Amino acid sequence: MRNLHVRGQLDRVFTATTALSIVLLTLVLVAILGPMVYRGSSAVFFQGTVEFRKMQKNLFGRGNEQALNAEVAETDQLRRQVYQMIDGFKKGVDVEALSEQVREIYRQFGQELRDKNVPTGQYTKLRELTRRIRDKLETAFHSQDINEIKRAVAEVLKEADNPHLKGTSAEKFFALARQFLQAAGQIDLSKHQEYAAAVQEVEGILFHSDSLPGLLGPRPGEPPAPLTMLRYGATRWDQAQVLLDRFLWVDQWVQEKPGEPLVLKRRPRAELFPESLRPLFAYVEQNADKMLHPRRTIYWQFLIDDNINSHYFGGIGPEILGTMLITVVGMLFVIPLGIISAAYLVECASDGWTMRIIRMGINTLAGVPSIVFGLFGLAFFVLFLFPALGFEPKPCILAASMTLAVLTLPVMIRASEEAIRSVPASYKEGSLALGASRFHTFVAVTFPAALPGILTGVILSLSRIAGETAPILFTGAVSLGAVPHSVFDPTRTLSYGSYDMAVGDRLAMMVPHNQYGMVVTLVLLILILNGAAIVLRTRVFKKLRGH
Amino acid sequence: MNDSNAAFTLAPAADSPRPLALTPGQDLRGYLSALLGRAVLFFITFSSVLAVLLILVFVVIRSVGFLSGSSIVEFLASQNWRPTAEPPVFGALAIIVGSLYVSFAALVFAVPLGILAAVFLSDIVSWKVRNVVKPIVEILAAIPSVAYGFFAVLVLAPWLQKQFGFSTGTNALNASLILAIMALPTIISVAEDSISALGRELREASYSCGATRLETIVRVVIPAAHSGIIAAVVLGMMRAIGETMVVWMASGNAPQIPHPWWDLAQSVRTLTATIAGEMGEAPETSLHRGALFAMGVLLLLMTLGMNLVSEYFLARAKKAGGRT
Amino acid sequence: MRKAIVSAVAVALAMSTAVRAETLRIEGSTTVGPIADAFAEYFKGVYPNLEITVNKNGSGNGATALIEGRCDIAAMSRFMEPQEFSKAVANKVYPVAWTIAMDGVCVVVHPSNPVKTLTSAQVREIYMGKITNWSQVGGSQTPIVVISRDSSSGTYETFETLIMKKQPMAQGVEYVNANPQAQARVRTTPGAIGYVGLGFLEGVKAVPIDGIAPTRQTVANGTYPLSRPLFLFTNGFPKLGSIPFKFVTFYLTEKGQDLIEAKDFVPMTNY
Repeated sequence: MRNLHVRGQLDRVFTATTALSIVLLTLVLVAILGPMVYRGSSAVFFQGTVEFRKMQKNLFGRGNEQALNAEVAETDQLRRQVYQMIDGFKKGVDVEALSEQVREIYRQFGQELRDKNVPTGQYTKLRELTRRIRDKLETAFHSQDINEIKRAVAEVLKEADNPHLKGTSAEKFFALARQFLQAAGQIDLSKHQEYAAAVQEVEGILFHSDSLPGLLGPRPGEPPAPLTMLRYGATRWDQAQVLLDRFLWVDQWVQEKPGEPLVLKRRPRAELFPESLRPLFAYVEQNADKMLHPRRTIYWQFLIDDNINSHYFGGIGPEILGTMLITVVGMLFVIPLGIISAAYLVECASDGWTMRIIRMGINTLAGVPSIVFGLFGLAFFVLFLFPALGFEPKPCILAASMTLAVLTLPVMIRASEEAIRSVPASYKEGSLALGASRFHTFVAVTFPAALPGILTGVILSLSRIAGETAPILFTGAVSLGAVPHSVFDPTRTLSYGSYDMAVGDRLAMMVPHNQYGMVVTLVLLILILNGAAIVLRTRVFKKLRGH
Repeated sequence: MNDSNAAFTLAPAADSPRPLALTPGQDLRGYLSALLGRAVLFFITFSSVLAVLLILVFVVIRSVGFLSGSSIVEFLASQNWRPTAEPPVFGALAIIVGSLYVSFAALVFAVPLGILAAVFLSDIVSWKVRNVVKPIVEILAAIPSVAYGFFAVLVLAPWLQKQFGFSTGTNALNASLILAIMALPTIISVAEDSISALGRELREASYSCGATRLETIVRVVIPAAHSGIIAAVVLGMMRAIGETMVVWMASGNAPQIPHPWWDLAQSVRTLTATIAGEMGEAPETSLHRGALFAMGVLLLLMTLGMNLVSEYFLARAKKAGGRT
Repeated sequence: MRKAIVSAVAVALAMSTAVRAETLRIEGSTTVGPIADAFAEYFKGVYPNLEITVNKNGSGNGATALIEGRCDIAAMSRFMEPQEFSKAVANKVYPVAWTIAMDGVCVVVHPSNPVKTLTSAQVREIYMGKITNWSQVGGSQTPIVVISRDSSSGTYETFETLIMKKQPMAQGVEYVNANPQAQARVRTTPGAIGYVGLGFLEGVKAVPIDGIAPTRQTVANGTYPLSRPLFLFTNGFPKLGSIPFKFVTFYLTEKGQDLIEAKDFVPMTNY
């Protein structure tokens, strides 16, 4: 043959290649699981802010009330300055709010006059006067010319000494006029609308918008937002940093060359505002951690809590419970049925045509998409079998487990069959020769010898049952519902929950830790359940090998 | 294989306190209890197999309305899949090709890797290392398909786009890579089982002739285990062709036949993805739903075909004495 | 004494009827699902004994579940098809539609795309495969990656009717199964064009169609050409004052409007 050296080299290369294949597999596993575990674990381990502790106190009743109150007082102290700066700025720019305020004062004054039973003549005169003041002020608010504003405000302030207005609510007109004049002197009036929009965006980021939570949460005294998630600021420091970044910087896509793709440019948001508001940005940047108090948090209750607002807050307790229930009930069907069927097919059935057709049919099922199993489960178990047995025909855990059992039975039967078949005939013959019955032989000899292979089947079907989504979509999974009381209730599960988060709502983008947390918990759950089987298998193997 | 054992069933052991010959009553009782046990076992097996097989009937029945009512030729030969157009066109050719295309591509990636890994586990490393490494393969099988889907869309697709300059990252390559990863555990464990089942005699004989490990494995072990390896490949293929969620997220779902045929960077659509994606929204009694079930029947026929192929190979291997 | 016993029994009876959980089952569209979730959470807070389940498995399945009596309310992003109606009537179920909100379908591109506006004819030609490069519509020299929602979703139907005018899409069009996926694909693909619901505009650029940008206002007043209604269906008109009635009319309340806005849809009311 060829010389020994080349053969040795080739052999080494081959060994290295096979080792490389395993290294590659491990790398793939790390590449898939690594980021997922990293993000998922941050659902439990993270830097929780004071908002997180507020949320925990209000929604789940956890935490020390006194300590929390002290903390809230401390942070509120610092936040007050943010509110003041924004309010001061808005006095100059938020035209609509100012106009509304003026109209409110006008209405209030009219009510006051009616309450005091002022004579009709004087009433008409004063109404006339205040209406003029109101209109003058509104003109001033909407004007972009500082001289026009000064003129209008001066005309309004002329009435400040009017004895009929002294000591009434109409005095607020003058306070407002003076404030506005002062604020208007500091900003570029032609940018009124631009500023108003920009300050609204800032308020959205800091407090909350219609649909997104903000950095600090709603201002004190504000009516509660419609969704619970909008009632708190950034509960996690990583979230807070994202929001802070968005607060400090504006992303702009700029065209550098015509006909080329735009380029991302970042510029400080402060530049969108006049000098008077710029200190706000430096203040928030410097004091963000003091306003939020990030602290290392282990939120282990993630594993038992119910979720709030489609998994924005809270945990995955009911999902874990549902997954375990479905898996356990499903395995109760799969393991005995699979082993018995496999034993029968190997030991009792003749190896003729029927067997072949059955095996072919079972193997063919691998090509049926899992969603079809779901429709089948609905049609057969829920709508046909349940009424026939006297149960209420509604999707529930039992139906879901049975459907999943049908899905995995072929895997289980096939694996057990292979395992039982590969037990050497000499074992069985020995046992039978000793006078044991066939049943006894199977239980005492064949089954233990086949156990490692059967456990592989258990591992494969268990993973499938716990992880499948489509078959339970119609037979027992819900995205929102009570914790199940019995196997006749529908349930939430981890697999369906993570699928639901991925396709339904935009929330998943805001709380990737919860989404990944769910997937990682599912993987861990499967691994823990499998771990037992793997350990068992190794032990049995050792015994069989005589180590 | 062991039906001849039946005769030994009731034979008593030598030191048994029972008399050697049974009375007719005992004989009858033993016979009846064995019969009863068998009947019970038969019933359990029958019902579980029946439940499993019913689904085949279910899929076929639900597709009858479509298959009898519209043109099967159009279904199989047209590339236009427009189920919601007026009038609807149900041409599944591109989708059928897509299914096969992605699965074959997945095998091209998975089979060499799978066999190498199986050889590594069975012939190269020690028993202890094997027990550590094999669970890695099983973890790959334990990751739920939703997780693979996320990985395909959020990580792999942008990476492929950036690295290879593809215009789209959700394409045949993405789908087949992920499918390869998902088929690997099946391929590795079945192949490894059949390779380790060969026993030491063959290998020792080869080594004693002076062959290196490479030569032993390539010339002796793999040929001897080829029936099991083919079975592993077919099982892997069936896993790939039946997978739903991942393909739905990773393949791009464009109902087209790649042109040129080797261009993996194009999006394709598979039968399973079409069924999963459209079943939820299609009205219950519509032709559309029927067409989706007809796709299910096609999938069944495909897996049946693959089964026949694997059965043929296994039978041939048996006849040649490859398996004892 | 007797009085006390009678009143105790009465209280016990009242409590037992109150404790007996009333159930409300909602099934259907993944698009309407978030609104149903938000409403359901609010109702759970108001009626602690109410057991609400929400299942998002598609409009078609929602309709089927309503027809077969497996749910109380079907959430749908499309109107019921004639064949579904006839099947319902044959089952003695009389579907009543409640239009609870509007959704805008926004045409989106990668934020680096210099294209400022598109006409609906241009969008149609892009999806038909007649325009294949962004330079043909005033953009950079980049091939267009066309992304569509799956052909049986309500979003697709809206797009197909209003933009495609029932013309077939090109074969190379990619299909994705949900709004978040469409958004993720466009956000990570520089040459991509896609269409998503109004709530999915973060990280992508919504292109004005025929000069009108999609906002809550333009969708509500109908000037934006691509919008669609979202429905709840009940079996017959629910009994006045019953829980299903309160649920399907909740969109008319101020609270309901806030929740719909919080989920980034366009409410039918304007408080």
